[in-house]
Amino acid sequence: MRRITKVCSAAVAALALCVTAAACGSDSGGGGGGGEGSGATTITFWDNNGGVRTPIYQELIKRFEAANPTIKVEYVGIPIASVQQKYDTAIAGGETPDVGGVTTSYLANLTGQQALEPADAWLAGSAVNGKVLDSMLASVKQATPDGKLYMVPATSNLDVVWYQKDKLAEAGVEAPETWDEFFTAVGKLTKTPDQYGWTIRGGAGSIFQLLAEAYAYSGVTEFFDASGKSTVNDPANAELVGKIAALYKKATPEADVTNDFPKMVAQFTSGKVAMMHHNLGSYNDHVKAFGAEKIDAYPLPVGASGKRTIVANPVDGFGVFKNSEHKEAAWKFVEFLVSKENNSYWNQQTGQIPANKDAQQDAWIDERPYLKSAVEVLADPATVVVSPPYHLPQFSSITKADTEPLFQKVLLGQMKPQEFLDTMGQMLTEAQAEWKKSHSN
Amino acid sequence: MATEVIVRDRPRTAAGTPPGARKDPRKDRGRVLRLYVPLGLYLVFTLVPFYWMIVFALRPTGSTAPVPWPITFEHFDTVWNDIGYAVFFKNSVIVGVLSLFFTTGIALMGGYALARFRFRGRTVFLVVLLCTQFIPGAMMLIPLFTIFKGLGLINSLWSLVIAGTVFNLPLSIILMSGFVSSVPFQVEEAAMVDGCTRGRAFLAVVLPQLRPGLVAVGSFAFIDTWNTFLFALMFISRQDNFTIPVGLSYTIGEYSADFGALAAGGVIAAVPVVLVFAVIQRYLVHGLSAGAVKG
Amino acid sequence: MTLARTASAERRPLALRWAPYLLISPTVVLIAVFLVYPIGSVLYYSLQHYNLTRPWANGFAGLDNFREMLFEDPLFWSSLGFTAQWVLVEIVLQLVLGLALALIVNESFIGRGLARSLVFSPWAVSGVLTTSIWILLYNPTTGIVRYLGAPEAAVLGNPDTVFGALVITELWRGVPFFAILLLAGLAGIPGELYEAAAVDGAGRVRRFLHVTLPHLRDAIVLATLLRSVWEFNNVDLIYTLTGGGPAQATTTLPLYVAQRAIDSKDFGYGSALTTAGFLILLFCSLLYLRLSRFGADHKG
Repeated sequence: MRRITKVCSAAVAALALCVTAAACGSDSGGGGGGGEGSGATTITFWDNNGGVRTPIYQELIKRFEAANPTIKVEYVGIPIASVQQKYDTAIAGGETPDVGGVTTSYLANLTGQQALEPADAWLAGSAVNGKVLDSMLASVKQATPDGKLYMVPATSNLDVVWYQKDKLAEAGVEAPETWDEFFTAVGKLTKTPDQYGWTIRGGAGSIFQLLAEAYAYSGVTEFFDASGKSTVNDPANAELVGKIAALYKKATPEADVTNDFPKMVAQFTSGKVAMMHHNLGSYNDHVKAFGAEKIDAYPLPVGASGKRTIVANPVDGFGVFKNSEHKEAAWKFVEFLVSKENNSYWNQQTGQIPANKDAQQDAWIDERPYLKSAVEVLADPATVVVSPPYHLPQFSSITKADTEPLFQKVLLGQMKPQEFLDTMGQMLTEAQAEWKKSHSN
Repeated sequence: MATEVIVRDRPRTAAGTPPGARKDPRKDRGRVLRLYVPLGLYLVFTLVPFYWMIVFALRPTGSTAPVPWPITFEHFDTVWNDIGYAVFFKNSVIVGVLSLFFTTGIALMGGYALARFRFRGRTVFLVVLLCTQFIPGAMMLIPLFTIFKGLGLINSLWSLVIAGTVFNLPLSIILMSGFVSSVPFQVEEAAMVDGCTRGRAFLAVVLPQLRPGLVAVGSFAFIDTWNTFLFALMFISRQDNFTIPVGLSYTIGEYSADFGALAAGGVIAAVPVVLVFAVIQRYLVHGLSAGAVKG
Repeated sequence: MTLARTASAERRPLALRWAPYLLISPTVVLIAVFLVYPIGSVLYYSLQHYNLTRPWANGFAGLDNFREMLFEDPLFWSSLGFTAQWVLVEIVLQLVLGLALALIVNESFIGRGLARSLVFSPWAVSGVLTTSIWILLYNPTTGIVRYLGAPEAAVLGNPDTVFGALVITELWRGVPFFAILLLAGLAGIPGELYEAAAVDGAGRVRRFLHVTLPHLRDAIVLATLLRSVWEFNNVDLIYTLTGGGPAQATTTLPLYVAQRAIDSKDFGYGSALTTAGFLILLFCSLLYLRLSRFGADHKG
């Protein structure tokens, strides 16, 4: 009996302790929204790729608060895999942040829920007016039905193929320029089971990369033809899908069929795979694994048309939310983030291309050859840019939940490439028609 | 404990083995086959994944060695200092411990009611408890968010404590009612005949025998809350109030596949729980010996 | 009320009549406040067209979602079939292994405490982490399979092996649940019963069948039921390990719900799928409780 009493009292004591701790924790948090007191404004900022990028923002916020003593920025890192769900929940619950990291791939969803504040008027009067790349501004405006600017671009990205320099040198292979060279190189680099020339992203996120490869190969210039029919099922696209699928298990690991980004990178950084398609943003992962001198990248090869064709990557940037009670401070923070020095810092850390024109002139870009060539590809007037229909709210679900399993069927030989692309094409065509109809008035 | 084992071993003795022959090779072989071989195999199955996690946590990025050599602590440094595990860890402890106490306490009451009373609405109550388990939490996310917002608990750890309690409670009550009904009612009755009130009888006689059940139910509640990811990410929008699972998800994403950091975070998340469990696991057995004798 | 009467109904009948309601009241309040509305809203949205990506088409749907689900959606049926297979295999294996493990660590031997702590430890590992560890283990380039003489085996990418791989991972995490629960249940078996059985000359097997198993019956019924429901709705493991693939081979119903309601933002259809799962689970649970005659011979 005495023992029970002892256990119980210990439990009660522990409980009391915890309650106090938790209560204190939430008390101090209670003032988060408007904890002014000294006349300071607190704004909340959601990072849409929390984790590795947290230290970058912590540094930038430190700089911002030093320059603007009356504004405090509260950083919240959202894991990238859950960011859409987080925004959807926050919007439904009316608890959105002041500023948030946003990408054009889900911008249409956010504006569809009337969550964001247009940036046009602010940008016109701001210090960064005219400094942000026009092509990126255009790409953001395209993504929304009313053509307004709902987010301010901060960074530009490009599909590239990362490769291990020594593996290519060993096999006597140069970074391929054309798709024919590419397939030859993959063959030469494959020495199963010790080394694979290529890895296919077959799991989450597969479709976007596949489309980037397909359009680079086919040279088709538009996502929809004049009649509003999707071009994804163009025979040349299907040809490329077939060729890639033919590499599966021969020049690529068998595990590829369910590979999402982490699994694909795990394979690549283990050293068994010589080349991997992703974009500039994974630079740090590769440097960490191999060291900066052992790794390089080239843009996706050129197809039979001879014209370099790229599928525009989603544009990443910052949006101010409509519910914000401190819009002025919020815009100030956005302006700070896309200004030359800070935009340059952010992109240098992540290995991507600054959206700020002045920042693009910085020396660190020239020091990284792969980045320099990426900047040139994007700036080259001869480059054909295919814009995916980010304006379709269903675009993200069509290219993820709806068609990722179908591509796996193609890899496993359960579906023909043409049939797979026909299915996707039909979904896109229907979505486009429905969108046109609902936005025609 | 000793009695039980001796009792179990007795028939073999009776069957002809000389008494006291603990070293009898036949018997030892039986024990080895019965206990040590399956246990050993199962331990391998259990520990290999842990070993792999430790290898990833301790070896440098890019290494493919099957042993963590050369050892590095950079991943631990990353997650503890850069990603902010120190704070997440504290929050997870608060949330887990609180919901453990609430769940166990409330489940004890409800479980006792279900086990000892035949009251009107008992079946309905049981079915309702079950029904709450039939819908995945993700589908209830937005209404729950609205409720917590109405209570002013968004961004507060209390939302996680409450959600943890509410979602663990039905399971805990049902399990607890099973444990209560396995304590013979006569024991309780005898105490009441001796002049105890029902409450005192419960505390003095039943509770000690429920210790294994309390430990099991409590640990389920704790672990479940400790590991909650979705609610922790959705109900909290303050970096200082996130919990460990959110921290874990930081290390794996579209632009980072830092398995070293993930594994290091995993070690930090798992070690304390495993240690605490190592201490309390002995209460999972033999609740009877102490309680029954004293009762 | 039989129990209460035999107890001490003559002393304080009124208080005792209210006692059970008092005892369950916190639970009832919590469920009423936090679960009734969310569950109701799922049932409500199952009758609505509610899709964030097509806001212009939202509105009352009647039984449209259910019609589509039952007659036009082969994935509903295939995911349901896979779920049944998944739950059945998992529960049977978890129960058998968990029971064996509980019996083993209930014996007395040197290092038992340590062994117990170790075999239970996977239970302490979170879902995110479990899947991450196993992804690394299974991947041919980062994993351990290559040391087992099968350098090319991509168990998660091969439709023939993926099911087994998922089952093993979930067993790793799930067996301790049964083991813990049954170990706690074993503690409640009075030693005299074994003594009596031993006096009767019962061997180990007969003691297990006639003493241990009957005593654990209620615990087993409950554990299997609750765990089945849990495995039915368990999304995180399969979602991270395979995403339902390859080629939808491992898509369970709740995973399909997540894809439709969260990834595709078709909350109406997702709610209809959830409602279907709800009704199936309700029916199966009641049937199971009836068939297992749970609590029929409740000891008093």
